[in-house]
Amino acid sequence: MTGQALLWGVLYALPIFVRGDFLLTIFIFTFIYAILAVTFDLIFGFTGQLSMFHPAVFGVSAYMTYLLATNCKLPFWIATLPSAAAAVVLALIVGSICFKFRLKTFYFAVVTLAFSEMIRLFVMNWNSVTNGTLGLVVAAKPTIYWPGSGIVPIKGPIAWYYLTLVCLSLTVLVCARCLRSWMGRCFGAIRLNEDLARTLGINVFRYKLLSFAVGNALASFAGGLYGYYTGYIDPGYLGINQSMEVLAMVLLGGQGTLIGPIVGSLVLTGLPHAIDLRAEIRAILYGAILIFTILVMPRGIVGTLNAWRAKRGA
Amino acid sequence: MALEVRGLTKRFAGLVAVADVSFLVQPGEIVGIIGPNGSGKTTLLSMMAGLLSPTSGKVLWKGREIQELRPDIIAGLGVVKTFQNPQVFAELSVFDNVRVASHLALKRALGFRRGLEIVGAARGVEERLAARVGEVLALCNLGEAADQLAGNLSYGEEKMLGIAMALMCEPELLLLDEPASGLGRDEIRNLEAVLDKVHRAGTTLCLVDHKIGFLRGLAHRVIALNYGQKIAEGSPEQVLNEPAVIEAYLGAGHARA
Amino acid sequence: MTQLVLGQVLNGSIIGAMYGIIALGITLTFGITGIVNFALGEFMMIGAYATYALAERGGLPYPVAVIPACLIAAAAGYLSNKAFFRFTRNNLVNGLLVSIGLISIFESASMLLWTATPVEMHFVLPGALRVGDIGLPKMKLVVFAVIVIVIVVTYLGLARTWLGRAAFAYAQNPEAAMLMGVHTPRLETAVMLYSTGLAGLGGALYASLYSLEPAMGGVYVLKGMEAAILGGIGSLMGSLWGGVILGVIEGVGSIFLPTAFRDAYGLAVLVAILLFRPSGLFGDE
Repeated sequence: MTGQALLWGVLYALPIFVRGDFLLTIFIFTFIYAILAVTFDLIFGFTGQLSMFHPAVFGVSAYMTYLLATNCKLPFWIATLPSAAAAVVLALIVGSICFKFRLKTFYFAVVTLAFSEMIRLFVMNWNSVTNGTLGLVVAAKPTIYWPGSGIVPIKGPIAWYYLTLVCLSLTVLVCARCLRSWMGRCFGAIRLNEDLARTLGINVFRYKLLSFAVGNALASFAGGLYGYYTGYIDPGYLGINQSMEVLAMVLLGGQGTLIGPIVGSLVLTGLPHAIDLRAEIRAILYGAILIFTILVMPRGIVGTLNAWRAKRGA
Repeated sequence: MALEVRGLTKRFAGLVAVADVSFLVQPGEIVGIIGPNGSGKTTLLSMMAGLLSPTSGKVLWKGREIQELRPDIIAGLGVVKTFQNPQVFAELSVFDNVRVASHLALKRALGFRRGLEIVGAARGVEERLAARVGEVLALCNLGEAADQLAGNLSYGEEKMLGIAMALMCEPELLLLDEPASGLGRDEIRNLEAVLDKVHRAGTTLCLVDHKIGFLRGLAHRVIALNYGQKIAEGSPEQVLNEPAVIEAYLGAGHARA
Repeated sequence: MTQLVLGQVLNGSIIGAMYGIIALGITLTFGITGIVNFALGEFMMIGAYATYALAERGGLPYPVAVIPACLIAAAAGYLSNKAFFRFTRNNLVNGLLVSIGLISIFESASMLLWTATPVEMHFVLPGALRVGDIGLPKMKLVVFAVIVIVIVVTYLGLARTWLGRAAFAYAQNPEAAMLMGVHTPRLETAVMLYSTGLAGLGGALYASLYSLEPAMGGVYVLKGMEAAILGGIGSLMGSLWGGVILGVIEGVGSIFLPTAFRDAYGLAVLVAILLFRPSGLFGDE
C-alpha cells in the first residue's frame, strides 16, 4: 500500500512547503469532511447500508460539544465525549428500529432521512437552547496540552491543520483496525449476502447496528471540530445537503475503501475553492459529478485504480 | 437422540407445504429425505434450520425447542444448512468465503474477548483459524481454488464451497439441501467422498435430494415425503420398494409434467 | 372553527394532490420501467417557473401558458431519461443517486436564472365562493377540479386503454410483453413523458396559487416519496390517495400543533407505515 503511505507522508509534510493560509484552510475543511466521509463509508461502502443519518449526528454533536463546553465549563476534548455518546444513543435508537424491521437499502435510506429531518426540525425550533435559525457563535478554541508550554489554544491555520489531520488519521486507524478484524468480515458478509451470513452464525442485526453506531460515533467528532473551526453553528449542519456532499465524496473517491472518501473529499472540497466558483455552479458540479460517477465510474477514483492495478497483476 | 421433528406443519395461504411430519435423527446417522418435486422437502429443511417459522409443530435439538430461534443462533447451536442454489460471497476469494464462516469458531474460541482481535492481541487464535480454513478447503478439494473469486467458480465448485463454509461452522448436524443436484458424475463422486469423511469425523448428516441412487448409497435411513406428508420411513431398500413411494414418484411425475 | 378546519382540509387536499401527482409519477415510473425518478419534483418546479415566465413575463394568459409549460417539463424529462435514467433500471440506489444529482443541477440552474427570491404570479382568478358561512377561494377550487379530472383521466387511461394494460403487462413480465408486440422503449419514453409532463402540470397549477422558489422541487420530492410509500409503492391510485392523506394530515395537524413541526407529522407517519405496514396503506403484501 505504498500509495497510501505516500499520501499520508505528503499530507503530514505539506505545511512545510505550503504557507498560504487559504490553501491550508481548504485542507482543514477537507480533513473534517473526510472524517464524515470515511465514517459514512464504513456504514455504506463496507456494510452496504445507505444511511442518510450523518447530518443529524454532525449537527447534534456540534451543538452539544459547544453547549457543554460553554455551560459546564468543560475543555473541548472532554465535551466531545458526551456528544459522541449522544451520537451512539441516537444511532442505537434509530438503528434498532430500522434493522429490527429489516428495512431494505432503499427504505433504510428513506427512514434514516426522515429521522434526520425530524431531528433537524427539533433542533431548529428549540430556540431557548439552540437559538433556532440564528445559530450559535463559537468564540472559544479547543486547547491541548503541549509539553513545555502547558495548555495551549489551537489557533491559526497550521495548528488547525495538524489537529484535523491527526483526528482524521485516528479515525482512519480505528476504522481500519475494525475492518481488518472479524468485525470487518461480518460487515462485508452482510453487504454481500445477508441471508447467507445469517446461516453461518452471524447476528446480522447486531453487526449492522454496530457498524451504524461506530460510524455515527466517529462522525460526531467532525461536528465538534467544524463548529469550533468555523466559529458558527446553525441548523444547516443537519440539512440534507450534508448527506449529498458526503455521498458524492464517497462515490467519487471510491466506496468500500478507506482512502477513497479522503480522495473524494480532497477533490470535492478543494477543487471548487481552488477554482473560484459561485455556490450555484458548485452545486451543479456536485450533481454532475455524482451522476457521472454512478454511471461511468461506479467504483470511484480509488476503486478504479485498485481494479486497474489488480488487472495488471500487481 | 440429537434432533426431533414433531408434528411439523407449514401452511402458505391455503397451500399445505408440510403436513404433520415427525421423525428422529440420531447422532452419527445419515438420514436421507426423498420425495418428488413439491413434496415439501426444502420447506421442511428450512424450518429445521430456522429459516422459516412453522405453522405448528416443534423442532427439538438435544431436547431444546429451536423452531422459533434465529438462523444464526441455531447455527451457533450446531445445526448448519446449505442451500440448494449455492449461496456464496461472490466478490470474495474462496479462502475469504470460508474465513467469513469462521465467525462461529472465533466466537467459541474467544467469546467476549474477541475484541482483542481488533487490537491485534489474538494472533494465536487467528493463525489457528486460518490454518483450519486451509484444512477445510483441502478436505473439500478446493485448496487450489483458494485465491479465486467465488463468483468465477463453476456450479459444482460453488456447491462445494457452500459445504466448505458450512463445515467451517463446526456443525454437529449438517443439513444439506439437494447437494447433488446439477452435479456431474465426477462431482457427485467427489461429494460422496467429502460427505463420507465428514461423517467419519462425527458429524450427523441429514440430506434432502431427489436423486435416489445418490441417497441409496449414502443414507442409513430414508424418509419419504409426498404432498408434505411422510409416507414411509426405514432403510433405503425398504423405503424405495414401498408401493406408496413408487406410486408417488411415478404418479406424481406425470402430474408434475 | 369550521371555516378554519374546512379551509385547511381544502388546502391540505390540494397540496396533498400535488404530493400525490409526484407520488403517482414515481410509482408509475418505477412500476413500469423499474427506474426510480426522485427528481420528479424538479420537473414540477420547471413547469411552475415556465408558467410564470410565459404568463408574467411573456404576457400569455394563464390557461394558454400552462400547456407549453407542461411540454417543457416533459421535454426535460425525456432528455433526463435519454441521458441518465435509463441506465439505472432496477437499481434503486443508483436511481436515487442520479436523482439526487439531477436535483442539485436543476435547483442550482433555477437559482442562477431566478435567484432565491420567491416569485409570485398575479391572481389568476381572484375571489372566493361562498358556501353558507364558509369562503372557498375560487382558484383553489378550479385547481382542485383540474387535479380531480387529471386523476380520473389517468385512472381510466391505465385501466381501460390498450396502452395502460400494456404498461401493466410490461411491468409484470417484460419479455412476454415484448413478444406480444408492446414496443418497450416506446413505452418507457411514454411513461417518462407522462410522469414528467404531469409533474409540470402540477407545477403550473401550483404557480397559480403559491409563490415559487428554486428549492420547491426538493421539498415536493421528499413529500412525494412519503406519499408513495404511504399509499404503497405497488399501488398507483394508492399513491395518489397517499398524497392527499399526507397533505390533509399536515394541514389539519398544524391547526392543533405547532406549525413549525408540520413536516414532522408526515415524517412520523411515514416511519410508522414503513415499520408496521411496509406495503403501504393500499399496496399488496
